[in-house]
Amino acid sequence: MAQRERDALTGRLTTGHEWDGIKELSTPIPTWWITTFLISIMVALIYLWLMPSFATTKSLEPGLLGWSSRGELREEQAIAAAAQAPWRQRLMAVPLEEVSKDEELRRFVQAGGRALFNENCAPCHGVGGGGQQGQFPALLDDDWLWGGKPADIIQTVRHGIRNTDEESRQSAMPVFGDSLSKEQIANVADYVLTLADKSKADSRAALPGAALFKDNCAGCHGENGEGGRDFGAPRLNDAIWLYGGSRDAIIHQITSPRMGSMPSFASRLNEESLRMLALYVHGLGGGE
Amino acid sequence: MKGVPATASGRYRRIKTGLACLLLGWFFLVPFLRWDRGPDLPGQAILFDLPGRRLFLFGWEFWPQDLPIAVGLLVGAASLLFYATALAGRVWCGFACPQTVWTDLFFAVDRFCEHRRIPPVLVKIAIALLTGFGFACWFTDAPTLAGRLLGGSAAPGSYGAVLIIGGLTWLLGVYAKQRVCLHMCPWPRFQAALLDRDSQVVTYQAWRGESRGRKRIPLREDLGGEPGGTRGDCIDCTRCVAVCPTLIDIRDGLQMGCIGCGLCVDACDTVMDKIGRPKGLIRFDSETNANAKSWTKTLPRPFAAKPMLFLSVAVLALGAALFAMLTLSPLRADLDPQRNPLFVRLSDGGIRNDFLLHIQARQPGLSTLRLRLAEGEAGLLRLASSGDHIGAETVDVTLDQRELRERLLITRPAGADAKGRSPLHLLVQDARDGRLLGTVETQFWGPES
Repeated sequence: MAQRERDALTGRLTTGHEWDGIKELSTPIPTWWITTFLISIMVALIYLWLMPSFATTKSLEPGLLGWSSRGELREEQAIAAAAQAPWRQRLMAVPLEEVSKDEELRRFVQAGGRALFNENCAPCHGVGGGGQQGQFPALLDDDWLWGGKPADIIQTVRHGIRNTDEESRQSAMPVFGDSLSKEQIANVADYVLTLADKSKADSRAALPGAALFKDNCAGCHGENGEGGRDFGAPRLNDAIWLYGGSRDAIIHQITSPRMGSMPSFASRLNEESLRMLALYVHGLGGGE
Repeated sequence: MKGVPATASGRYRRIKTGLACLLLGWFFLVPFLRWDRGPDLPGQAILFDLPGRRLFLFGWEFWPQDLPIAVGLLVGAASLLFYATALAGRVWCGFACPQTVWTDLFFAVDRFCEHRRIPPVLVKIAIALLTGFGFACWFTDAPTLAGRLLGGSAAPGSYGAVLIIGGLTWLLGVYAKQRVCLHMCPWPRFQAALLDRDSQVVTYQAWRGESRGRKRIPLREDLGGEPGGTRGDCIDCTRCVAVCPTLIDIRDGLQMGCIGCGLCVDACDTVMDKIGRPKGLIRFDSETNANAKSWTKTLPRPFAAKPMLFLSVAVLALGAALFAMLTLSPLRADLDPQRNPLFVRLSDGGIRNDFLLHIQARQPGLSTLRLRLAEGEAGLLRLASSGDHIGAETVDVTLDQRELRERLLITRPAGADAKGRSPLHLLVQDARDGRLLGTVETQFWGPES
């Protein structure tokens, strides 16, 4: 250990080291820095003690404060639920048709419905409710496969379509590829293509597909292709084609039909949420 | 007293005192001006509403998107400052700068308390806290702020403003003083670019002042003294140094430390009076004139090229800002096309687009607005949550808290041309008298074929 000595010129201690006659002045770390450093260590130790810091074999040692992010979320959810409770009660107190007459309630339903829609419906029907051509029906248009009244929409959302829920909407389109020839199917498709065109109302009866349509399709889709709500059979005499409106697409659909299915939301959404969601969806397309 | 300049009295001291009263009065009292805007809006004539992100200025209300107006006002104010500097030197520094006003106020406190057994530090703390309070008044309802602060119900920001601005006032006005002007402020560094030899600055007329000496030394002959006299007009009393707030000696010539407050002019004039010599040994004058050894001072030249350049920039910027303020739109309306999907087809072949409509009304009293499409554009309007119909030519909407956020569905009926992208203009009218308040331009999307 070298001898500590004081530099005569500056009056400061040297480090005691000497290199070819050059000595280094001692420049210790400032006291405030050391103090801050020590305080930081203390704070870290206290933090470890208060907050969940150590893993145990099962989960996490909770720490003195018992804080958890999950608990914090639960508290926030409880606060939000308490704030919404009077609104939800108000919503349940009025008939569905009269909700939009109460301006404040309408705003609550629109805001809540939008949030519920984005969480539950948007993955298939799109954030804007535009659906997806060939897979999921658009909700922004004026066409309703299973009925567009709020009560119909609640029923559809609660139990879903073509799933294992006993009360879900059920129907199936037969596979005509097994029972009709290719030519017959093509004739039916040609006939279906004329349904939306009013100018062909008289001439279409003479088409070769007319009789086939009456025998095979009219039962569900209606004599003039006006659709059948009870079976979720789409209207065929309008401009909306869920699975495509080209001749090829129609032939394909008749030959081996595609049918969408929708899950049941009964276990996910309570009665108020169903109401909000149904009124929101009802408002999107204009409803019925 | 150590660190406190001596008192000067005279013309510039009077101007400084008057201006300080005016500026301090402006700072402390203007937030208390009232302006009636109706029941839902603050009644303060000038209010920076930070939580609401808006600025109330008498009949105006500014929103963040009106920032270009603030740019115009700031550019105009800066150019006016350049103009004043090019014309008359550092008048801003010497007379109007908050640092000068508050430092001067604290010096006055020191002088006032000196022989009165009042601890100046207490008065200074009170002034600093009052300054913080005055600052906070611009951002919240001023008349009730004092009560709310004492009652503990004021916003945390108000307490923060009082303590932080109060602390800064103390730091800058009591502790740092002239050090701010000498070392911190960037403005002195601009001076060299703005001043020229014809600008008005505080000048020591060395040609008649030198050489300095005691009064008993005979005056120079060319100044009216006796032959063989060696002394100039300066009797080296150092009053000019004693009164200087930045502690410089002006007799060394123009220097960065001089803030142009003119107190040394007052001090020297007082002395010249007493010894019976003409005033103006130290005076506001141009450097050119000082070198010309003239007994009469020059006046500022307002029409010289450089000041005029700054003035024209100021007039342009302020004019543009004023024009923008006078033609401010009474409301802001946005119509955002929703891109998922771009459009849907209706059963009759019509095409429907989905928009998010956001309206904010700036004008008080607007409650019901009427929406319609521009002349010649086919389309029916419908709010997403309303009624069971396709839509109507016009839709009336009611604002809630001067704001509206709704989904607007616009349908072009079958047969109308809706191919590809076409322009769409939504007109927003006052439902009471049909006055057009704004036009929103957006796009309507339809199928490509």
